[in-house]
Amino acid sequence: MSRPGFVLEVDDRTPPLVVHEGEGFRLEEFPLGTQVVYPPESLPAMSDVDEAIQHALLHPEGSDPLPSLLRSGMRLTIAFDDISIPLPPMRKPDIRQRIIEAVLTMAADAGVDDVELISANALHRRLTNAELKDIVGERVFRSFHPQGLLYNHDAEDRGNLLHVGMTDQDEDVEINRRAAESDLLIYVNVNLVAMDGGHKSVPIGLASYKSLRHHHNSKTMVRSHSFMDMEKSHLHHSAWRMGRMLADHLKIFTIETTLNNDVFPKPYDFLLKREWEWGVKDQASMLAVRRGLALAPDKLRHKMFHDLRAPYGVTGVHAGETEAVHAKTLANVHRQQMVEVQGQSDVLVLGVPYLGPYNVNSVMNPILATCMGLGYYFNSYRGQPVVRRGGAVILYHPVKPDFNQLHHPSYVDFYEEVLAESTDPAVIEAKHEEAYATDPWYVHLYRTSHAYHGVHPFYMWYWAAHAMDHVEEVVWVGGDRRAVGRMGFRAASTLADALEMVSGTVGSSPSITYLRNPPHLIADVH
Amino acid sequence: MILALEMFRSVPRMVAAKAVGGRIPGILSGPAAPLRLVSREQPAASRPGWARVRVRLSGICGSDLGALSGRTSLYFSGLVSMPFVPGHEVVGDLMDDCDDLPSGTRVVLDSVLTCAARGVEPCASCSAGATNRCDRITVGHLAPGLQTGFCADTGGGWSQVFIAHRSQLHAVPDDLTDEQAVLVEPLACAVHTALRARVNRGDHVLVSGAGSVGLLTTLALRELTPAGDITVVAKHAHQRDLARDFGATDVVVPDEALRGVRRSTRAFHVRGQLGRSYLLGGVDIAIDAVGSRKSVEQALHATKAGGRVVLSGMPAVADLSAAWFRELEVIGSYASASREPAADGRGSFDLAMELAAGGGVADVASGVVSYPLHRWREALDHAHSAGRLGAVKVTFDPRSSR
Amino acid sequence: MRGLVKGGVDDVRAVSRGWRWGRRSLVPRSAEPHSLPKESPVFPTAWSRRRPAKAVREVVQQAGLRPLFRSQVSPHVEGLDMLGRVKPPVLFVANHASHLDTPLILLSLPNEWRRITTVAAAADYFFDTWWRAVGSALVFNTFPIERRGGSLASTPGDVLNEGWNLVVYPEGTRSVDGWVGSFRMGAAWLAVEHQVPIVPVAHRGTFAAMPRGQGWPSPGRKPVTVRFGPPLRPTEGESAREFAPRVRDAVASLLDEDRSTWWEARRRAAADAVPDPSGPDVAAWRRVWAQTESPRPVSGMPRRRAWRRR
Repeated sequence: MSRPGFVLEVDDRTPPLVVHEGEGFRLEEFPLGTQVVYPPESLPAMSDVDEAIQHALLHPEGSDPLPSLLRSGMRLTIAFDDISIPLPPMRKPDIRQRIIEAVLTMAADAGVDDVELISANALHRRLTNAELKDIVGERVFRSFHPQGLLYNHDAEDRGNLLHVGMTDQDEDVEINRRAAESDLLIYVNVNLVAMDGGHKSVPIGLASYKSLRHHHNSKTMVRSHSFMDMEKSHLHHSAWRMGRMLADHLKIFTIETTLNNDVFPKPYDFLLKREWEWGVKDQASMLAVRRGLALAPDKLRHKMFHDLRAPYGVTGVHAGETEAVHAKTLANVHRQQMVEVQGQSDVLVLGVPYLGPYNVNSVMNPILATCMGLGYYFNSYRGQPVVRRGGAVILYHPVKPDFNQLHHPSYVDFYEEVLAESTDPAVIEAKHEEAYATDPWYVHLYRTSHAYHGVHPFYMWYWAAHAMDHVEEVVWVGGDRRAVGRMGFRAASTLADALEMVSGTVGSSPSITYLRNPPHLIADVH
Repeated sequence: MILALEMFRSVPRMVAAKAVGGRIPGILSGPAAPLRLVSREQPAASRPGWARVRVRLSGICGSDLGALSGRTSLYFSGLVSMPFVPGHEVVGDLMDDCDDLPSGTRVVLDSVLTCAARGVEPCASCSAGATNRCDRITVGHLAPGLQTGFCADTGGGWSQVFIAHRSQLHAVPDDLTDEQAVLVEPLACAVHTALRARVNRGDHVLVSGAGSVGLLTTLALRELTPAGDITVVAKHAHQRDLARDFGATDVVVPDEALRGVRRSTRAFHVRGQLGRSYLLGGVDIAIDAVGSRKSVEQALHATKAGGRVVLSGMPAVADLSAAWFRELEVIGSYASASREPAADGRGSFDLAMELAAGGGVADVASGVVSYPLHRWREALDHAHSAGRLGAVKVTFDPRSSR
Repeated sequence: MRGLVKGGVDDVRAVSRGWRWGRRSLVPRSAEPHSLPKESPVFPTAWSRRRPAKAVREVVQQAGLRPLFRSQVSPHVEGLDMLGRVKPPVLFVANHASHLDTPLILLSLPNEWRRITTVAAAADYFFDTWWRAVGSALVFNTFPIERRGGSLASTPGDVLNEGWNLVVYPEGTRSVDGWVGSFRMGAAWLAVEHQVPIVPVAHRGTFAAMPRGQGWPSPGRKPVTVRFGPPLRPTEGESAREFAPRVRDAVASLLDEDRSTWWEARRRAAADAVPDPSGPDVAAWRRVWAQTESPRPVSGMPRRRAWRRR
């Protein structure tokens, strides 16, 4: 049985609570009265996923069954979400592999010859062959990759992009040409959080910079309250306009999946339990893990975390017309992640873990940590932000200025050059975005190496724009002072210090809310 | 009798300094320094055109430190005469009348000992006004010595009195302080460097190093040339601020230099083995103002094909592959000329004198520190880490006894 | 390295404080509505019936518990000859007035019986924390039974089937005033189901020596008596419902016998006039008062001899 999420009020019976901070976690004793938002417990997983996939493909929402859409001689393209979801990467077999195998089985039965598979990585880095193989599975990889029929989307390959048209609000819709010119485009998604999926899949995952900049900009992000809530997200409004336009041009068959909250495998599963319910074994593993982390050299610690594979269970598979499918998917996501919270607070506390969408098999640099904390976690609300306007956000992360040169070359320059000059998303956008987006070296690395596109760090900063606009103070507990200062924030060594620092803004006894994620949660703030 | 710091030939000390000086700079101002404080006869100004100069301030230059640590190439060993009194960045007062300059005039020194000073017929370079290229620096009635401060006969700035020839002297306007005036000589070199670089309108220039040479070169580039972006590689915070004041558009730290240049010039980055890292594309002109191997190579590696690299510091041995492969124009810039063809024949010192009167140099001058001669070990120590300690120029003030 | 150790010590300290080591863990008030109903922990006790635990128990009981027990109370045992009439496994069914009951019964048994006797103990009390569970399982050979129903690692049936005797207190809890409460059906049901005899056991004086709420016997080596009665077997076709009253009557009669003599008790039993072991219906204080009086030692029977059997 899984219990719904709830809001704990810290009292004198409450044990110290886990707060994630990068490649580690700490036990924090919160001030009495702090509200702690716990996500719902993991929903029971489907017992027969393959059966569910078959059912979804044969009884789709608002569409004919998949087999009837497949015919010999057609051009079929299968696009799928890249490595940025789910987090942490899923234990094999990946749900995408199971779905793609089911789809390909039907395609083979129908005699479809012209099939290509595209990782919809937009401006994300190209996946390595091993990463592609992890997602689609060995069978699919072996059948398609050597022939060059399984590949990463290239948003800079002018020859392989098609400008489909403009939306009614003059937004360019430009996506992968192969996908756009297919008789059927099948999109396989993993809907990890409420932001994912729907029309965010094809019009964004397969788009070019020219198309993306209409919604990936500071103005849109400041006005999206929040981007986790498609009803109130300008980002999603734009994507929906594009998606509807695309749907008129091309037949899209969307397959969406949802996962439960089983984020941490054994022996780290104590991190998923509510602390006061920890048994002797949980306490012992926690102590052992803490000591192990303290003892481990940085490299080993990094490996310990990044080798984690989540034992996710699948909670839903839906297929068919994009919007009909997404409505069902979203309901599943909300069922797993939504928690009701009464009222806003003065201070929001967030623990930023070791992993975000953009540092799988990589390092979480200061910009990604900011994006994770002030972007994804801050925006994990519906209704209104968890923290009041003019309040303070306290984040936990070491914020070490370490960058992965292979994956994040433009981030280093963004950090050294752009942030040194200004941290205002709008200013940065006006002054530097163009230069980074068109820098031939970044383009080269994006296309041939495994680098995020030159403009990507800007997007990360825009992701945090709403939070920076909304709150007065941002303090990082345990953060590297120089790196935090570079980003225009402040660093403290303990929660008490951080509260002291923000007391000028929120008073000496502020109301505090701590979102205890991961696993993922959405605070439904009334 | 006067006090003077004298550099003498000592093979063991030179070897010691060369062996460990790079790692333990302290040893250069300590036991291994081939330098001593002596009392000696005043040099006599017996020939026409020569006069005695009483030193007000005399700077410690990077090349002086190089000579003390034995890092200077043996190439120069034939161009100096031991023992000599170092010091070629000098401001002082004339003690004798010197042709048109009356006794008591405050002067700065153009240290090159040219045909005129040596009493020989002007060589081709001297006739053309390129006095820094004089070919006669080892002959004539003076002992060999490329400059005052490397010649056994003239004395040098690190003493109370030395002698100088009229051709070397430039009167200082009253509105310059001594501290500003002592910067005129390095500033003249910077002016020369900036003019040597032959900057076209809008050229992107990289200045590698932000010691006094780098900073003053930045100033000269901004004031005298139509350079576009100027990127300065600076290690220390106060250097970064000064570089910006002097007109740098972008300041980067050494380890970030290639990356910064790549970003602003949209070049491509190549990584060879063993940390060989360089750009394809890059700045139009790079000026090395340090002379270390790292700095020289950085300049070579950050310059676009067909670009120009100006060596302003005394260069160490460096990998010249880029110069060959990218067809770089590698040019030297030594001291200053009495007539600069790139500045309508005006002299570097005249231009430098004008720049020295500007607000920027006044700021730098306020950061000039001075030591009496007998505290030379401290002074050298300070000069070694001037950048870190926030000074642009360390000088001797032989008038002071404290 | 020092930092590492210090960090470890700090962590342990924080955890021991936060999770109240040695005390009950608490649920934050606001989390109470969201807590799962506390599941009785399934505590495996099979290990306590294996050879190593038996060896440890033998040492603890003989070298520790027995001298300690005798230093605190003066026990008097009767009716051990009844054990000659049965073979293990049997159910010992006793009244329950004190924590002294279990050591009293166990230490009264001949060694070869004692070594194969287990005690059914309330899971929610004796097995709610691991150290109490381990302690009682090791020293008294207890295994958990559920007072309110629930899952268990081993059932009393399993234990009986393995050949172990079982001490059962059918009242389910210690008496509040020393008088005997009503008997539940469990023991009778077990006897019927597994066809094992019941040996009724009656003891007096344990309430006077160490009543409920007291952690240690009162000073003065108070006398306690224990009396084993003739084994009862369910007759052919007898149900637990019919058998249970017979068991209670047997215990009541034994108590009566202990208070008077065998012959008098037999006669009262025949006249159906056995005093009700649940005591007179009088004011509570009078009930307690009556029970706080220790049984008078039976004259003519030297105390020492009673304990030193064979």
